[in-house]
Amino acid sequence: MDRRTLLAAAASLAATSMAAFADDKTKTTPSTAVTVPSNAIKARVIVIGGGMGGATVAKYLRLWSNGTLGVTLIDRNPTYASCIMSSLVLTGQRTMASQYYNYDALRSKYGITTVFGDVVAVDPVAVKVRLADGTTLSADRIVMAPGIEFDEVPGLGTSDRMPHAWKAGPQTTLLAAQLAAMPAGGTAVLTIPQVPYRCPPGPYERACLIADWLKVKKPGSKLIVLDANPDFVTEKDNFSNAFFNLHRSVIEYHTNAAVTEVDPASMSLVTTVGTLRNMHVVNLIPRQKAGGLVAATQLNNATGGRFAGVDVLSYQSTVAGADRIHVIGDASATTQPKAGHIANQEAKVCADAIVRILSGGAPDPAPVTNSACYSTITMTQASWLTAVFQYDPAARAMASVPAAAGASAGWSSGNFKQMNTWFNALMADTYA
Amino acid sequence: MHTHRLSRAALVLAALTAAASGFAQTPPPGRLLASNCFQCHGTNGKGPGFETLAGKSASKIFGELKEMQAGKEGNGIMTKHAFGYTDAQLQALAAWLSTQR
Repeated sequence: MDRRTLLAAAASLAATSMAAFADDKTKTTPSTAVTVPSNAIKARVIVIGGGMGGATVAKYLRLWSNGTLGVTLIDRNPTYASCIMSSLVLTGQRTMASQYYNYDALRSKYGITTVFGDVVAVDPVAVKVRLADGTTLSADRIVMAPGIEFDEVPGLGTSDRMPHAWKAGPQTTLLAAQLAAMPAGGTAVLTIPQVPYRCPPGPYERACLIADWLKVKKPGSKLIVLDANPDFVTEKDNFSNAFFNLHRSVIEYHTNAAVTEVDPASMSLVTTVGTLRNMHVVNLIPRQKAGGLVAATQLNNATGGRFAGVDVLSYQSTVAGADRIHVIGDASATTQPKAGHIANQEAKVCADAIVRILSGGAPDPAPVTNSACYSTITMTQASWLTAVFQYDPAARAMASVPAAAGASAGWSSGNFKQMNTWFNALMADTYA
Repeated sequence: MHTHRLSRAALVLAALTAAASGFAQTPPPGRLLASNCFQCHGTNGKGPGFETLAGKSASKIFGELKEMQAGKEGNGIMTKHAFGYTDAQLQALAAWLSTQR
């Protein structure tokens, strides 16, 4: 044992004694709180992006390394605006304030360091990050969870007259205000981009919700849904039943309808199936790619350069020499959907793999992930959709288990209640 | 008595050595699998969310999941979801959840 090892041993002994003392204290007041002991740091991980994937990987790296991995989480904003449930802000059923989450618990319960700033460069070989203010941080591993970015729509420019509201926040508030100001008997448009995009059922559930709201609040109005895809992307039974029966008086659905140009001044859209003019509200959801840092780091080697190719055993980048950079969530290219619930599970697989790798081991050879969500079909009823993915060693990809993939037969108010339980549980597993 | 003291000292030394060399983190079997439950049943199965799973017996958790597969628990989201795992995986995640207090 050299002097340094001895000091480390002494430090961990002190930490152990303190942990034992804390245990004694909690014995008298039973608590099931999940926390992390303050052990000596053996290696460091930087997490870029504090959304569903980033927050989860930061939390579980601390938890599963028993506090021996130092984790720094970097995000532009000190609060996260949840996209999940944000369509209910459009109908006035939830407030925007209720969508915000902060990093207080990640700091206090799990000992995560947060840095709020703009990452301008990632060096995948030196494993370093540079911030806009000139600060440089280095680590043993970097996990990138930058989410998505939108393609530019010709003609849109910097206009805020056709909000996407597909990253929750000011855009959500903007679209809610535009819908509220819409006249009865007016026409709204919602555009669905070509796959892959964030939250496959999301645009369809939003269309259903807005249609139900229009019936009550803006009688005689129409909602034109322009889908760039050849058919419903997911949950076809429920969404087609809702579009063609339940909401038939409101929704007009067009497939293979991609937006090629817009004119915000005249609220017009040029599409592959015709031109629409003088629309009252346009919810323009553009085509998507990984957050800009992925392309800037040249990790965008999949889906025609849009997303990051990863090894789904660890979420390490498949770019040669960049294997100490992991990419999780919507920014990565996998067979799994781009959505918050499964980003949370990808984050756990990634955290488990990093703990194993930095301990000298190999990732779990058979990871399992799952996707689950509820979709609002009306303002009080919801459907559900779920899938489980098992690792397929031959394809080196996550494969959906057929028997476990599917949706509810119809929708119900019971599912709507369950949706709230699911949302609160998911956000607690991610931020609390 | 001497042998006892000696082995105890050896144990302490072994523990110290383990703590000093890297993380010595071998994830417990079933934990990563069980983490698929956390989104809806809380971190470590301790809530908030649907039914708390932490500390339930492994045979009870496994038994309920098998009943779901058999269609005895209605046709909700968990009935569909339960089909996503092999029996060995269900047993492993149930065993890990049962250790949570």
